Amino acid sequence: MIGARSIAEPTIKDTIIHRIDPRAKILILISTAFIAVTLDNPETMFLLFLIVLSGFALARMPAIKLKTLAILLILLIWGTIYSQALFYSQLPRTVIFTIISPDFPVLGWLTNGGLFVYEEGLRHGAIQGLRSASILSLGLLMCWTTDSRDILNGLVGLRVPYSVAFMVVTAVRFLPIIITEVATVITVQRLRGFNPKRFGSGIIKTSLNILTPTLSNCVRRTGTLAVSIQSRAFRANTERTYLKKLKFSEFDKAVVTICVFAAISIVIIKLLYNLYTSGIYYTSGLRPVYAIARGYL
Amino acid sequence: MKNTDLLLKAFLLLLLVLALQPGAARAQEDFEPEEMTAFMLQVPHGVEGSGLAVGGSNLSAYVFFESYYNGNMNVTLELDLPEGFIPQDASVHSFSLQTEYEDWYRLVDIYIPQNLPSGTYNITATAVIDVDGSKHAIVRRTHFRVASKEEITNEITISGLMIPSDEDGYGDPSHPSNTLIIRETSPALKKLLKITDLKIDREEFTSTFMGVEVTNKGDSTVPVVVTYNILDIKTGEPVKAFKPTIMGMNSDTFCYAALTLPPGSSSLVSLPLYISDNAMGGDYLLRVEVKLTGSDWVAVTRDQKITAVSRKWGPIMITFASTLLGLTAVSLFFSRSKEIMDRFKTRNLVLISLFGTVSFAAINLPMTILWELSHAIFGPFSFLFTGLFYEILLYMLIASLVVLIPKPGVVSLFMMVRFLLGGFITGSFTPITFITLSLSAVVLEVMMYVAGITGKSPDPENRFKVGMVCGIADMIGGYVSFSVWMVLYRLFYSNWYIMANILIDGFLYTFIGAWFGISLGNRLKKVAE
Repeated sequence: MIGARSIAEPTIKDTIIHRIDPRAKILILISTAFIAVTLDNPETMFLLFLIVLSGFALARMPAIKLKTLAILLILLIWGTIYSQALFYSQLPRTVIFTIISPDFPVLGWLTNGGLFVYEEGLRHGAIQGLRSASILSLGLLMCWTTDSRDILNGLVGLRVPYSVAFMVVTAVRFLPIIITEVATVITVQRLRGFNPKRFGSGIIKTSLNILTPTLSNCVRRTGTLAVSIQSRAFRANTERTYLKKLKFSEFDKAVVTICVFAAISIVIIKLLYNLYTSGIYYTSGLRPVYAIARGYL
Repeated sequence: MKNTDLLLKAFLLLLLVLALQPGAARAQEDFEPEEMTAFMLQVPHGVEGSGLAVGGSNLSAYVFFESYYNGNMNVTLELDLPEGFIPQDASVHSFSLQTEYEDWYRLVDIYIPQNLPSGTYNITATAVIDVDGSKHAIVRRTHFRVASKEEITNEITISGLMIPSDEDGYGDPSHPSNTLIIRETSPALKKLLKITDLKIDREEFTSTFMGVEVTNKGDSTVPVVVTYNILDIKTGEPVKAFKPTIMGMNSDTFCYAALTLPPGSSSLVSLPLYISDNAMGGDYLLRVEVKLTGSDWVAVTRDQKITAVSRKWGPIMITFASTLLGLTAVSLFFSRSKEIMDRFKTRNLVLISLFGTVSFAAINLPMTILWELSHAIFGPFSFLFTGLFYEILLYMLIASLVVLIPKPGVVSLFMMVRFLLGGFITGSFTPITFITLSLSAVVLEVMMYVAGITGKSPDPENRFKVGMVCGIADMIGGYVSFSVWMVLYRLFYSNWYIMANILIDGFLYTFIGAWFGISLGNRLKKVAE
């Protein structure tokens, strides 16, 4: 559980990535998510993935986080590869393994003609896995290089209502306490003979039995915490002051401009290209745009 | 006396002969065979001038005779073939034409043996016309070339291939080249388009055209048949989805063009291309073949890799609508955040955020690894395991939270905390999370309010009602989630898998979770009191 906490908590250092304004990080993340979702070209997607990974090198992430990232990426990409190998519905497709034969009683009918592992699906899954891998990696980079308070300040800076930001602050602050409580409950369950690490019923029983004691404690804390917060004039004034003022540096501005411009351009180019390929809108003046979309995006 | 009679008879006969002689002579003089008939020989049929064929082929010589004479004529027509040519029908035909503009024609099948030497041969057709006993002969002669396969292969080429094209075979720049668009065929969408006055052009098949330009570089007129096949790029097998049965007929019946190529010419033809409902997207091999008329031998082949793009407009529309709904809901919340948040006491906000933390610690955090691990191990059946966390535990929390705070907006705030927490801790700020969570929040919120679970006189302890509402809302959320995955991440899922997920994970697990959540909520209520 302590390992989990250290993985979840940010590593604060003084690197170029750490110094980026949290608002800029959120905008970069949103822009990159748009770019990753829009791209189709495998080479460009791989390039994007490499750019995101290079951020981890620049941020000098500790080994435990890199290992966590590697495990998550392997599982994520493999999960996508596996599912696409089974459900791939394009041609050509080559069956390399039969999981459920079409003649298999009930399941053959249920799966509408069997379940096969397709060679081309493996490749498609690997390419599409890059998309979610890029978004996940950048998300982790952002949250591992930014203090949660800074992110929340960033959110407020991006005009997220303070009450919502406050709720998230509360949730973040209580996370270690609740994780510790969960750990205590698991220990108690072990003492009572449960094996939470046993795959299957162990995990299910543990999860269900965590809820009641943990939530009971939450409900008890709520009253105390609410009184404490209200006594400090929570929501008494509409305007708030902040201890730490966020400020965009020139570098932040440049990076955000590049990312937002790239995202908007790529989305528009792909949108125009999709309108063209769908036979909805075409104009000869946009041929270079179509060529870029087809060749590189 | 006898001699006198004989002399008289001879004289009368002479007079009669003299009287009739000018008429007969005039009749003979009046009938001009070339002007009063039309006589045509084409070898093979359709070729004017020098034709061409390859050894081992069947061809039809076309013989046509028409009378412009207003009277009876008997015609004997004989087709004289070179040595080695094997006529499949009689080569001599006799017929009568009675009136002006009456005609006669035949297609005479001829087999050209495989081993016939290459070269130019003469074919002659002779028509002997008998008009009132006088006979006239007309002769038609044509050159015919028998060429070797190598010669023909060198002379005929497919000089252009445009796919898709317009109906005349010309390239259509408004569509990407070498790309076919497989249109949406879902009955629901068709119905929707009909209601909204938009329409899908064809009920059963979508079609486009391809332009094929064939060039004859030789000096003989060549009759050819142009056909095509769309093949699996790996196996080379024809794909039936692109040659469907149309009105009970194999579409091969429609998908060909017959051309006669004069020497040194190029011709552009368009061929229709049909795409059936079950066609799949992907890469294919388009194989265009040119055969000489009368022969099965493929003289020229051209292969072109083509891509079929399959767009499922249903999921695209669902994704678009869900995104719009999510953005609208968030905008509404941002614009009226003070009003909305003021409805909740500070104690409520703290409780919601703590529930958010618990859901994150008990569901999101362990599932960050377990979700992927389960997918990697169980593949398509992992939802049976992950659903225990994502549906039963989650809806236990939601239902118990609603029991504790039965106000509209509680579910949305809970979802918002989960989304932001997930984003900050595990980096899951993804468009999919945003769309699915916002949609789930809106649907669940609205359904709970309509069902009276939240609102002015709330009834959050009705297990069945809460279970049904949560189950249905999660089914909708699940379906939208699959659509979003398919559209934004270009992933494929089988219908049976989506259905099983929605029914088991979406409804059954959620119902169970909500059912137990009421009990949990009631127990927590006692703690709160």
